[in-house]
Amino acid sequence: MTVHDPLISLHVNGETHRLRLPGSTPLLSVLRNDLGLNGPKFGCGIGECGSCTVLVDGVAARACVLHLADVAGHRVTTLEGLGGPDSLHPVQAAFVETAGAQCGYCLNGMIMTTAALLDANPDPSEDQIREALRFNLCRCGTHVEILAAVRLAAEWRRR
Amino acid sequence: MTLQPQGLTRTDYLTRRGSLAVVKPPAGVVDVAAADPEALEPFVLVDADGTVTAFNGHVDLGTGIRTALAQIVAEELDVGFARVTMVLGDTALTPDQGPTIASETIQITAPALRRAAAQARHALLARAAERLDVPAPELVVEDGVVRRRTTGSGGATGESGADAAAAAGDNRFVTYGELIGDERIVLALAEDVPVKPVSEHRIVGRSQPRVDLPAKATGGLVYVHDVRVPGMLHGRVVRPPYAGVDIGDFVGTSLIAVDESSIAHIPGIVAVVVIGDFVGIVAEREENAEAAMRTLRVAWKPTPKLPDLDDLAGALTRNPSTPRVLLDQGDVDGALAGAAKRMPREYLWPYQMHASIGPSCAVADLSEGRLRAWSGSQNPVWLRADLAKLMDLPEAAVEIVRLEAAGCYGRNCADDVTADAALLARAVGRPVRVQLTRDQEHAWEPKGAAQLMTVDGGLNADGTVAAYDFQTRYPSNASPTLALLLTGKVAAGATVLQMGDRTAIGPYDFANKRVVCHDMAPIVRAAWLRGVSALPNTFAHECYIDELAAEAGVDPIEYRLRYLKDQRARELVQQLAARAEWEPHVGARLREDPDGIRRGRGFAYALYVHSKFPGYGAAWAAWVADVAVDTRTGEVALTKITVGQDSGLMINPDGVRHQIQGNVIQSTSRVLKEEVTFTDVAVASREWGAYPILTFPELPPIDVMMVPRPNDDPLGVGESASVPSAAAIANAVYDATGVRFRELPLTPERVLAGLRAAGVAPPAPAAAASSLPPAARPEKPSRLRTVVWPLVAAAIGAVGSIGVVTLPWRGAIAPIPRPEPSVFSAATIERGRVLAHLGACFVCHTAEGGVPLAGGLRLDTPFGVITTTNITPDVETGIGAWSYPAFERAMREGLHRNGRHLYPAFPYTSYAKTTDADLQALYAFLMSVPAVRHATPAPEFSFPFDQRPLMALWNTMFHKAAPFTPDPTKSELWNRGFYLVEGLGHCSACHTPRNAMGAEESGARRFSGGVAEGWDAPALNRDSRAPVPWDETAFYDYLRTGWSRHHGAAAGPMAPIVAELKVLPDDDIRAMAHYLASLGDAPKAAAEIEALAAAREAAAAARAGTPVSVPGGRMFDGACAVCHEPGKGAALYGTKPSLALVTAVQSDTPDTVLRVMLEGIHPPGLGELGAMPSFADHLSDWQIAEIARYVRGRFAPERAAWTDLEATVARLRAQVRTR
Repeated sequence: MTVHDPLISLHVNGETHRLRLPGSTPLLSVLRNDLGLNGPKFGCGIGECGSCTVLVDGVAARACVLHLADVAGHRVTTLEGLGGPDSLHPVQAAFVETAGAQCGYCLNGMIMTTAALLDANPDPSEDQIREALRFNLCRCGTHVEILAAVRLAAEWRRR
Repeated sequence: MTLQPQGLTRTDYLTRRGSLAVVKPPAGVVDVAAADPEALEPFVLVDADGTVTAFNGHVDLGTGIRTALAQIVAEELDVGFARVTMVLGDTALTPDQGPTIASETIQITAPALRRAAAQARHALLARAAERLDVPAPELVVEDGVVRRRTTGSGGATGESGADAAAAAGDNRFVTYGELIGDERIVLALAEDVPVKPVSEHRIVGRSQPRVDLPAKATGGLVYVHDVRVPGMLHGRVVRPPYAGVDIGDFVGTSLIAVDESSIAHIPGIVAVVVIGDFVGIVAEREENAEAAMRTLRVAWKPTPKLPDLDDLAGALTRNPSTPRVLLDQGDVDGALAGAAKRMPREYLWPYQMHASIGPSCAVADLSEGRLRAWSGSQNPVWLRADLAKLMDLPEAAVEIVRLEAAGCYGRNCADDVTADAALLARAVGRPVRVQLTRDQEHAWEPKGAAQLMTVDGGLNADGTVAAYDFQTRYPSNASPTLALLLTGKVAAGATVLQMGDRTAIGPYDFANKRVVCHDMAPIVRAAWLRGVSALPNTFAHECYIDELAAEAGVDPIEYRLRYLKDQRARELVQQLAARAEWEPHVGARLREDPDGIRRGRGFAYALYVHSKFPGYGAAWAAWVADVAVDTRTGEVALTKITVGQDSGLMINPDGVRHQIQGNVIQSTSRVLKEEVTFTDVAVASREWGAYPILTFPELPPIDVMMVPRPNDDPLGVGESASVPSAAAIANAVYDATGVRFRELPLTPERVLAGLRAAGVAPPAPAAAASSLPPAARPEKPSRLRTVVWPLVAAAIGAVGSIGVVTLPWRGAIAPIPRPEPSVFSAATIERGRVLAHLGACFVCHTAEGGVPLAGGLRLDTPFGVITTTNITPDVETGIGAWSYPAFERAMREGLHRNGRHLYPAFPYTSYAKTTDADLQALYAFLMSVPAVRHATPAPEFSFPFDQRPLMALWNTMFHKAAPFTPDPTKSELWNRGFYLVEGLGHCSACHTPRNAMGAEESGARRFSGGVAEGWDAPALNRDSRAPVPWDETAFYDYLRTGWSRHHGAAAGPMAPIVAELKVLPDDDIRAMAHYLASLGDAPKAAAEIEALAAAREAAAAARAGTPVSVPGGRMFDGACAVCHEPGKGAALYGTKPSLALVTAVQSDTPDTVLRVMLEGIHPPGLGELGAMPSFADHLSDWQIAEIARYVRGRFAPERAAWTDLEATVARLRAQVRTR
């Protein structure tokens, strides 16, 4: 952070933050370190695994390869912005219900990608669900429960 | 919120009043109430407020063990599940129960916890009996409330004891809290405590939602990655080049020097810490620590070559080993000699990764001689000892606070990073958080060891097994914590871990049987990974018996049962066969669908026997795998997996099911896809493209059969279901194809080669083996890493001969005092500012991280190195003493104020066209910026290019200093565009080829493409290679946003240009686009262009396969496709450009494509584009070359294949590195 850096407005989870940081600062590090959010996780730093997924204007985005300047003026939503422990978003609730996590490190990306998917396509087919999650990696092998969570969330949302 | 209380001590827990604790005292201590609380190991603590805290030395590795342990405690204590909080693996609190390995938490450590909970219940019941004056056997507890049980009724009757008691008129009750009161009750853990019979279980054996998931689903503080402590700094480590190797005298002794000046420009660096081969960086901000890690120049000694790991079996055979006979029964040698059919076989398991989704992370704080480390360790107690040794502290001064981490499935880098954090925290005296990068975790995690299994055996004439002579080779040293080796605390010697013996004996009862484990030191860093050595050993056992069955002419399951004596195993095998509707058969059935897909089914069984030999068994497991094999491509797909498991009593049946499914999916991934690759010195698989794991579209249907055995002891379920995987799948492929695959993974190329070698032909009519053109086929990975340095063949002879001519030295223009900025109007200065951006003055005259316009950027030109000059108005080091005439002369004629010639790297040949008014405005702007004193070095040119006067001649030959005059035959828009593009915009400087003397070529060669800082500057005229033609709209989009739908993103030196153009008004960008479009062919209609683009994209999409059957394609799928495969994966914010339309892919040379992979694309502040990360640290030269080969073949199939790719990557990488 230097005096040369412009003030950048960042809208996260309904709040506006004004940050004096280089526009090239990785969004993930701003969210985690400057805003203290735990939801988005560092997984690879090169956009491959999906652990860091957030929503930008409602669309899934990989926070590790976005820069602060890329999202200035846009709406960023993190896992925390979907819902808290006492106010679970239907997608979060569905993942808890089906135990769609083992270690849970990929869970943020699974939930955020699912939330974006269901907003765009409330009634996805099995193939569409799998395709949407193709580039979200899970190492524990929780795929069966994750797919069940997406189906359940879609069902809840349609009701 | 956290899942687990933090920062409390045993004293905090065990001295509070109003509690009942069950503890294990040290040997010899009898009076536990009077003992030092810190010496007591707590198991269960019941608080008077009704809550229960229970302690276990093991940790939750993401398996849900926290939930299952809480169920056990709640059950035995008769309290509601929600009252129980588990504390796991905190060295300050929990009992020392060893590392969390071998899935033994439930089987081995939980019984003590169960006893402790039962003991607490008995103690409380005894008090209740006294209080209520009712004999204890007549009492019943519900959720910590004790009442009288009515005669004859009990928990098992279905009628609640409490209701019955109330009905009988005795409604007195007492709670645990009332029984404890404000007393401090401490009990020593007893050995003989009656526990509840299974028939009375109400919580154990019923599925319980996992307690950790709500916090995980909402971003609660769960993971060590989320720990933030006051004053915390961020650390990164720089690892040595022998990545993933921890044996040899070079380990810890290879560092030559660290050049701290190389990161001087990065802000907020607190320390660079160097101890032996340990190098770490601490910074105030994480991204700066990361940047410093990637930038720091470190000199290392050459790294010794690894043994040839392409010949893995040879490497394992040649690695020195010590045979250890585990079993020798009957007369093996005699039986082998007399066998009717001798069947020697060799099975090979590759190196594999734990591949945790989150790279390891830790926080450490050393203050007042005490080290506290927040860690995701699998073995906090061992780690405490390691840290004590590393830091020269007593163990008592080290505390490991264990938080969850990404699933590890064995030993990953969790301990390594904790030690790294400790070293950095000590160096800076503040808490430091260290996050490993993806490439570091992949490269350095102790790999699941490769393993070679040889079987000699065979059949007697009657089809019985003559003998079974099994040998296994397992190279590991348990992977000492890395910092101990790097700092030299522990020598990297050839120590050996005896862990190759798991399940080595095998399940079959052969009369003549010998089992030998060859213990050996590691070849590369390797330790335990899920199914440690049992999975490879079982691969051999279960494939071999399948081979025996086929040879004997017997159904494989029936043949197994002839030699399987274990009754529970037999029942499991038979039940699973029934569940899967197994059809007995002999040998390979070679079933083929009409479309040529072969289908097969395979079986395997294992009892996972683990821990120190002879060890003991976890759960029994068996698989029936159904596969489809494409004999054209070699692709193997699992079409169904039926898995059975006997786990004994299942504490949390849903949890068991999830573990089974997780094991099935992970092991399927390992068998089909996973293999660590190596360069000749180090691990090459450093990201998910080169080490792909199973993805959602590949997920097979899984049918889980859980054998109910509630009356048998609970067994470990964390690994068992993995163990039969490889053999079941390989046996299924045999059934489909008749070919035995004894090496893994079953990648398409391995399977295809095996099928062809065995004479299995693709189905008729013969289809192409792959839809990919030959250009995309891989080259064998080269072991040669020789960098071929290009000879700069500058044609300088002509210039040299002119050098003898006497040339004029132009006069100096007198210096002036710096002009007052106030003499220029604000409007003029603002206009000049815009022009300065158009001219890209900032781009060249600003050093990386330097003050704008103060110069200092090094430019490599074919003729030598130029350092750009300071053009701020500093009088001595900048242009403050320059009058306007001096400035104008420089811009138009390329002369310094003092009269010497400037080199045309400064594009005065274009700038000369600028109008007087614009030059004046530019002058005004430059004189108004803050003056910065910054001297820059002179150019480093060699003869004849160091002869500045020669430039006069050059100018006569190549330069016209005339300002712009509009062409009256053209439109105003065209003329404006010409002025901007050809003048200050100086587009031709890069996009026009230069002659031997460095001048832009003219005529038809103008804008026919050039080179900029080693990047292709593509042709903008009719020579354009763009897959669809550029039109005005495309140029406008590209210049305005850095991206065109039909051409991709601005990269390399073009990216900052687009950023500069941001200040230009739309009309000017449109004018530039109009002029640039006029350089090409006659414009096409927008609809026609869109159709062309769509057709190219569709054609490229049609050439994709899943999974793709060449290495470059697979790596593309894992590393690139997420952003470059439109239509695949989720919709992503930003662009998802198809490479089908990218010009660089069409170029004759691969340089730009390779550079983009090495350097990434970093559009500064353009918004919405996203960035492409650099892959330089994640992909090897060979990997980048193979991806490029695939990209060329798939997206530019009509062009010639690129050659010398790997050498080109090496050359470009060296350039990137030295910049």
